Amino acid sequence: MKLVGIVGSNAELSYNRILLKYIAKQFSHLFEMEVIEIKDVPLFNQSDDQTNSPAIQRINNKIMHADGVIIATPEHNHTIPAGLKSLIEWLSFKIHPLENKPVMIVGASYYAQGSSRAQLHLRQILDAPGVNAIVMPGNEFLLGKVKEAFDEQGNLKDQGTQKFLESILQKFVRFVKVLAALEGPKKLAKPEDLHATGKIDTTIEGVDMAAEDWVEKAAEAVDAVEGKTYVKLDRGILTVDQLNYFLASMPMELTYADSNNQFLYYNHTLPAEEMLASRTPGQVGNPLADCHPLKSLKNVEWVIQQLRSGAKDAVRVHVPTHGPDKYVVHNYQAMHDKAGNYVGINEFILDFKPIIDWYLKQTGQKLVGDVDAVSGASANDNHDVDGVSGATANDGVHKNVDTVSSTSVNH
Amino acid sequence: MNHFIGLVGTNSDHSTNRKLLQFMQKHFSDKAQIELVEIRDVPMFNKPEDKKLPALAQEIADKMSEADGVIISTPEYDHAVPASLMNTLNWLSYGVFPFVDKPVMITGASYGTLGSSRAQAHLRQILDAPELKARIMPSSEFLLGHSLQAFDEAGNLVDEQQVATLEGLFDDFLTFVSITKQLNHAHSINRKIAENFSWEPI
Repeated sequence: MKLVGIVGSNAELSYNRILLKYIAKQFSHLFEMEVIEIKDVPLFNQSDDQTNSPAIQRINNKIMHADGVIIATPEHNHTIPAGLKSLIEWLSFKIHPLENKPVMIVGASYYAQGSSRAQLHLRQILDAPGVNAIVMPGNEFLLGKVKEAFDEQGNLKDQGTQKFLESILQKFVRFVKVLAALEGPKKLAKPEDLHATGKIDTTIEGVDMAAEDWVEKAAEAVDAVEGKTYVKLDRGILTVDQLNYFLASMPMELTYADSNNQFLYYNHTLPAEEMLASRTPGQVGNPLADCHPLKSLKNVEWVIQQLRSGAKDAVRVHVPTHGPDKYVVHNYQAMHDKAGNYVGINEFILDFKPIIDWYLKQTGQKLVGDVDAVSGASANDNHDVDGVSGATANDGVHKNVDTVSSTSVNH
Repeated sequence: MNHFIGLVGTNSDHSTNRKLLQFMQKHFSDKAQIELVEIRDVPMFNKPEDKKLPALAQEIADKMSEADGVIISTPEYDHAVPASLMNTLNWLSYGVFPFVDKPVMITGASYGTLGSSRAQAHLRQILDAPELKARIMPSSEFLLGHSLQAFDEAGNLVDEQQVATLEGLFDDFLTFVSITKQLNHAHSINRKIAENFSWEPI
């Protein structure tokens, strides 16, 4: 379950932020929660529509892709802070990401009240027609005298408070599930255009995607810079040569596929047969459908759907065909622009073994062959693995989770 | 003659709340001087450590401290007071105390039927916070529904009954302002509470 936690304060030091971070860390067995900030959100003004600004779109995207939202509000002037109200006004003006979204309210305050009035207002506000969130009834969590509530590690000191918080978070998880059931079956994700027949604003037209020399032809078509020409980046300036040195020295195989499902780049340092997942120079430019065997296209599609829809930010698969001396993982990482729109996949293929070995040596620790611990770790990805190992199945790998966990136990 | 501040409760270019205050300014010009104050350019509240207010917020605070009373006209956004008005009130209670024991009259206009009823109730609760502590005129409400149709081209309220209601309330407010001047026994305590209010990270 994916949740978003909204810090209702734009202050640098906020106990509501500490509370949300504590919830995200302490209850990671219940859900995965990303804590987001509102400090870049401009003050709402209906005469100056900034709905499409990156600050608002980023939050909009995060909320739309989340199963539920937890809002932590302080209390200013007997009500919620203007900054939080401003965000909700933007999210009920031209866009409505909170509509039918399960929401839970928590709040911390310096005094005994624990933001009680602000929480009631927030309920009233979230119930307004343009917002239409579904706030979990009852189950108030008011954390008063917050200055004394956390220890130095940011953990709640009081056992009873911890237990109570856990019990209402468990209820919220059930609340989210019940609402999902009420909504009916999830809409099926749109099919992926793996043949890249569409066009995005960076697609280079008029060049055959399947051509062996697509890179050369496409470079000519757009007059691409190379060599000693400078490129301005966030944050720095490099020449194209320097960029190449940099990417080539990354201790992993990098692949870039854009949101039109076209394979645009890999850091070409080794011949195909020496790579962890083979790529050839002539493949660049191909639609993704042409880079995978037919039988794995369903799995490729599944991975892209997860990343595009935001259901997952990353999909990881261990590919155990490289023998016991390697632990090769294919990581499919969604890429986004500043407004949070999906722009493609960063696939990085990495052998974790040397990193783990180095870590163990540095810290003097040893792996203990605890089967439960290891299988538990990988079991998170349980339902993904079938889908994904196929996606990387250039090499035709099909392994299940048990194989994965026992492989790591053997070391 | 009393000098009042008419606070336009929104940063929008088009506001029937502004129209309502402009009408009151004109209609009651023989009874009081009403100066309209805009909140459009007040920056976002960010609790600066040095407690220094932006120039515009300080200017509004000074005007309010001088005034005999404040009339706030608020629209309703999402069942509540607009963020822009909340934001201004945050500044006006941050190390300055223009509202402590200040007589306040609340009005409101909305395009629909309800006339910002929930925002007005919300605003009362806000103004009652220890760091604001205004004297809000009790048992009075002016809810102007269907506000887009409420004014003629000259900016006058069309409905005579509404005008009569507003006149009655305004006369009450004049009385309330003079009564409030006698309600001064708790003033030093209220002021102290407001001054001692801690904006420590909450």
